[in-house]
Amino acid sequence: MTPDDPHDAVVVGSGAGGAMAAWMLTKAGASVLMLEAGRDYSPDESPMLNMAMDAPLRGVGTPDKEFGYYDATVDGGWNMPGEPYTMAEGSEFMWWRSRMLGGRTNHWARNSFRMGPYDFKPKTRDGLGYDWPVSYEDMAPWYDRTEKLVGVYGSNEGLENHPNSGPGVLQPPPKFRVWETFLKAGGDAINIPVVAARRAVLTKKIDERSPCYWASGCGRGCSIGAAFQTTTSLIPWAKKTGKLTIATGAMVRNVVLDASGKASGVIYIDKATGLEKQAKGRVVVLAASTGETARILFNSHVTGRSEGLANSSGQVGRNLMDTVGSSVSAYFPQLEGRPRYNEDGAMGLHAYIPFWDYKRIASGEVDTPRGYHVEIGGAFGDPGMGVGGGLDGYGASLRSDVKRRYGSRIGFTQRGEMIPNANSFCSIDTNTQDRFGIPVLKFNFAWSDHELKQVKHFQNSMKELIDKLGGTLVSEPDEPAKAISKGGEIIHEVGTARMGADAKDSVTNQFGKTWDVDNLYITDGSVFASKAHKNPTITIMALAMRSSDNIATRLRTGEL
Amino acid sequence: MTKDLITIDRRVTLKWLMGTLAVGQLAACGDGAKGISWPEMKAIEAAGIGKDPDFSNITVPWPLTMTAAELEITAELVDLILPGEGDIPSPSAVGVPAFINEWVSAPYPDQHKDRVLIINGLKWLDDESKIRNGVPFIRAEAAAQTAILDDIAFKDKVKEGLDKPAEFFGRMRSLTLGAFYTTREGWADIGYMGNTPGTGDYAGPTPEAAAHIKGVIEAMGLKYTPA
Repeated sequence: MTPDDPHDAVVVGSGAGGAMAAWMLTKAGASVLMLEAGRDYSPDESPMLNMAMDAPLRGVGTPDKEFGYYDATVDGGWNMPGEPYTMAEGSEFMWWRSRMLGGRTNHWARNSFRMGPYDFKPKTRDGLGYDWPVSYEDMAPWYDRTEKLVGVYGSNEGLENHPNSGPGVLQPPPKFRVWETFLKAGGDAINIPVVAARRAVLTKKIDERSPCYWASGCGRGCSIGAAFQTTTSLIPWAKKTGKLTIATGAMVRNVVLDASGKASGVIYIDKATGLEKQAKGRVVVLAASTGETARILFNSHVTGRSEGLANSSGQVGRNLMDTVGSSVSAYFPQLEGRPRYNEDGAMGLHAYIPFWDYKRIASGEVDTPRGYHVEIGGAFGDPGMGVGGGLDGYGASLRSDVKRRYGSRIGFTQRGEMIPNANSFCSIDTNTQDRFGIPVLKFNFAWSDHELKQVKHFQNSMKELIDKLGGTLVSEPDEPAKAISKGGEIIHEVGTARMGADAKDSVTNQFGKTWDVDNLYITDGSVFASKAHKNPTITIMALAMRSSDNIATRLRTGEL
Repeated sequence: MTKDLITIDRRVTLKWLMGTLAVGQLAACGDGAKGISWPEMKAIEAAGIGKDPDFSNITVPWPLTMTAAELEITAELVDLILPGEGDIPSPSAVGVPAFINEWVSAPYPDQHKDRVLIINGLKWLDDESKIRNGVPFIRAEAAAQTAILDDIAFKDKVKEGLDKPAEFFGRMRSLTLGAFYTTREGWADIGYMGNTPGTGDYAGPTPEAAAHIKGVIEAMGLKYTPA
């Protein structure tokens, strides 16, 4: 089939949510047209074993390649020529776009922490935010299926609000490295857990994908298929069914409704020709990313209504959330001069610090309502342009300082929950269009006191841990309002088309089906009802799998 | 090629003339060259890496801008920052000056800031040497060179009025270390042993590394958990 033919489903986006929908639907026998705004891409392009020395400027980030020369992101980033977005006065928001087949899954950190029972019912628990229409118990089997399919390493620790996976689901985690063992010793002494991380990186072979070979940064894309991305898994699998048609360079502008108010397809700009085209399907699935999905809904005009499509609740664009980010780092004299060995490992977390202080939140001893986890980085990594940071002098003493301090610095990065607030949302800027003539998004964003207090909790806790291990801070952390990340900076934005139990205050039902249009579904991060501290991708995929199962059933029974 | 050489010659000559003038003026104040100005420079307009570089044909797309004379002082300076030692080569022997040329010639804001700092800083170094020693930096005796560095290389001991040269030196130190330790020779020196694909499970710490951290942890009165 070609993109001009009507398909059973039109899926907008090829990242975590779109590719999962395409795989589930094609597997169930439906024909799927996948529209991707960026170019075709495969990590076979990735120069897996190239190093900094082989790259311009030793591979550092530049305004055109913000995450460094080798980052898999092509034709994307914070700033895209001809594709602006605007911000309300006093607001700052960083909107990452990934215009390529596979979207952000090509470069994500692969951290895969499933949400827990508290995370799905935050409002019930502390009166803040909004409850999901699903419970953890509803989601647990879908997490198991997703983790098994994707391949996630980790361990079942039985920790509060950090659920175990089902038997046989997880792959074995890689061994801790010396500095992780060191941190664990300190954490154990003050009851801060340091446990095996969970990442979508294979440690055992699955299907045609190889296990990790313990080298090559995952962010550059993984041509051996060990680090999960949709371009080495869901998309090729969906292609194999013979049911998937992909159109790249297809920038979707709006959803088209028929006379009965059902979605009949979408209008997209074919970048190669600049022409508008229409894609037709029995069901439309939006998975264009939290920002783009809201933008498409806003730009889909409905006769007699001003608020855009699927927005009778007024919640489209609202409840914009990102992960709370901040960091501290420290030198540990006890790690100086330790014996060298290869610490590349899985090129990411082997260990991390899950949130541990729920009981003191419940008792009121802790003044921030929601938690965070800590991602830790140290190791004898490949030296980069920052290797001389903080050093002094010159000559032989400088050389010995570099060598002594190598591998003795550990960075602690907070990844925390944000509670939705009325000041954080996106809308359409009617005065600005992108190079395709599509009106752009305008962002409003503000953290609340809840998040700032959480940063303080993180800073104090890490200082305690660092102190226990005899470390010294590289620099005293800034006050929370200054230390906290900018909105969007952690690239975990979610919430602009939240799911809920009630059509009056949510955009979709528990299966991502919009309340207003029976055959319009959303399977990306925009449907999140809350932003737990857990990184969103694994939950996007689990939800997309569950929602797609619902779509497949309805297609089969002729409901759609 | 001929044209390029002429261009460089002219630039070197002009620079030399300008340098002489500046030194003359400042020497009259009898206070070294510390008051020398660090003029802003025009931003480089050239093609950058772009958003979709071809990894099968990696190139540095922008023209290099440092003069032969600037590269010569750079080589002298980077080798003073991190002198070769035994089998470990000096930075100039593994291409660090050429990398600094690539860096300061890049058409990006961060690199532009470094360019202003470094090109002016190299000039300051030469002028300072001429004032103190009567010869350019590269011709000065080793002790005379380090006497200048000692005034700008240590955070808490920067000579009064030399904050800007100290900032220049700090940046050169950082770029030199970054450039050197990202080479194979630098890896050998620092002890980076990665980027070596393996099969099977991740090996984890060597017995020696594990025994060492066990000792460290237990000496702190903490509990060691084997990896």
